[in-house]
Amino acid sequence: MAALYSGDSDMNDPRKGSDAEPTTHFGYKTVAESQKAEKVAEVFHSVAAKYDLMNDVLSGGMHRLWKRFTIELSGVRTGNRVLDIAGGTGDLAKKFSHLVGPTGEVVLADINASMLKVGRDRLLDRGVAGNIKFVQADAEKLPFPDNYFDCVTIAFGLRNVTHKDDAIRSMLRVLKPGGRLLVLEFSKPTNKVMSKVYDAYSFAFMPLAGKLITNDSESYRYLAESIRMHPDQETLKSMMVDAGFDRVTYHNMTSGIVALHRGIKP
Amino acid sequence: MLISGLLAGVEHGINRVLQMDSTALPRLDRLSGKVIAVECSSPAFHLYILPSDEGLMLAANWEGGADVTLRAPAASLMRLALSKDKTAVLHSPEVELDGESAVLLELTGVLQDLDLDWEYELQRWLGPVATTLIGGHLRNSARWTSDSFASLSLNLAEYLAEESRTLVGKREAEARFAELDQTKQDLERLEARFERLAQSLTSSDNA
Repeated sequence: MAALYSGDSDMNDPRKGSDAEPTTHFGYKTVAESQKAEKVAEVFHSVAAKYDLMNDVLSGGMHRLWKRFTIELSGVRTGNRVLDIAGGTGDLAKKFSHLVGPTGEVVLADINASMLKVGRDRLLDRGVAGNIKFVQADAEKLPFPDNYFDCVTIAFGLRNVTHKDDAIRSMLRVLKPGGRLLVLEFSKPTNKVMSKVYDAYSFAFMPLAGKLITNDSESYRYLAESIRMHPDQETLKSMMVDAGFDRVTYHNMTSGIVALHRGIKP
Repeated sequence: MLISGLLAGVEHGINRVLQMDSTALPRLDRLSGKVIAVECSSPAFHLYILPSDEGLMLAANWEGGADVTLRAPAASLMRLALSKDKTAVLHSPEVELDGESAVLLELTGVLQDLDLDWEYELQRWLGPVATTLIGGHLRNSARWTSDSFASLSLNLAEYLAEESRTLVGKREAEARFAELDQTKQDLERLEARFERLAQSLTSSDNA
């Protein structure tokens, strides 16, 4: 496994590996593209059982407000079809299920079987059923027809995708014209002081909390590193525009620690 | 974010209260998918209410359109929240309604008819025996307080009207008001007759 990492020297050009296979980021490490999905899957298999608890501990409950704002901007109505990619434990899907009603449809998709199982069990235990489907799917190759969904969301999932451009294009394909994509993701703090505090918090407290609660500090070190490697607000905006989205805007939350990007399919 | 956090807290509290009434959530379920916009004119703020079988969702922003919009100043909204007769507040002149008003009337009806089962909630924490004892004691105290206030109010009214003669009695006041109303109507009729006579005089002069 160590042979998969080529160290930090290639960080500026992630697709240039020492061998023929293209490489990509896995946190601060560079790995072969074919290995990233597997390594991300390992992380989420490890944290799935205590994912919600860790989200609450690490964000101080703020993730609920970030997701709440995402729901508010989704504009989802009765009868809509909604795709929640990397839906994890189903926070967004649960709300969407109520909003679309019995005539609508919500698809909770996640590439990771463990996360999908936790999400499915949690929603069924809470009586959320009937208009919701669970699909194990890769965001880069969504197994849905063209022009099918009114709204697509991906919350804290895009940074784990190997080819983000392909994933955004795939989301554009499955959206109906006029449909909206909402990308909720960690981003770059807009305030320098906040940035310093956030760095200290991410690299000291998060792995420690991971160790204490899930006995897995490495997964939370990856979380901190993957956030730093994720495109900042403007870069992600231009990626969405390049993919073909119209009227792309973003909203910074908590001083830019998290940003919500929104684009409309023309 | 601050407003979102505040709304999330209020929403949680309201939904806990709604869960104490066995009929409220099934009635709210009938309003699922509807969006009620509340626009407060002074101070200016917007609030969106989305009912569902889980209770109410409160949102500071909502990108989809609203089914009904309620516009009113803060004082009227406060009266709407606290008043027992919410329908009367909705019909007051400073309150404006746009869209499907039946949705808002149904929501206010649900909130107006709330019959909270505090004993069930208490029983979950304290058990049936302690709840019965505490419940009985609280009910007796509430009844005594209510009776005492009613009695005090009647005695005070009687003292002010009959003994100190500071105020007139209720029936006497009602009789005077009725006379005043009658006089006002008579004056209005007289005014209308004068106007008609003046018009007929003007038209005969022109002829």
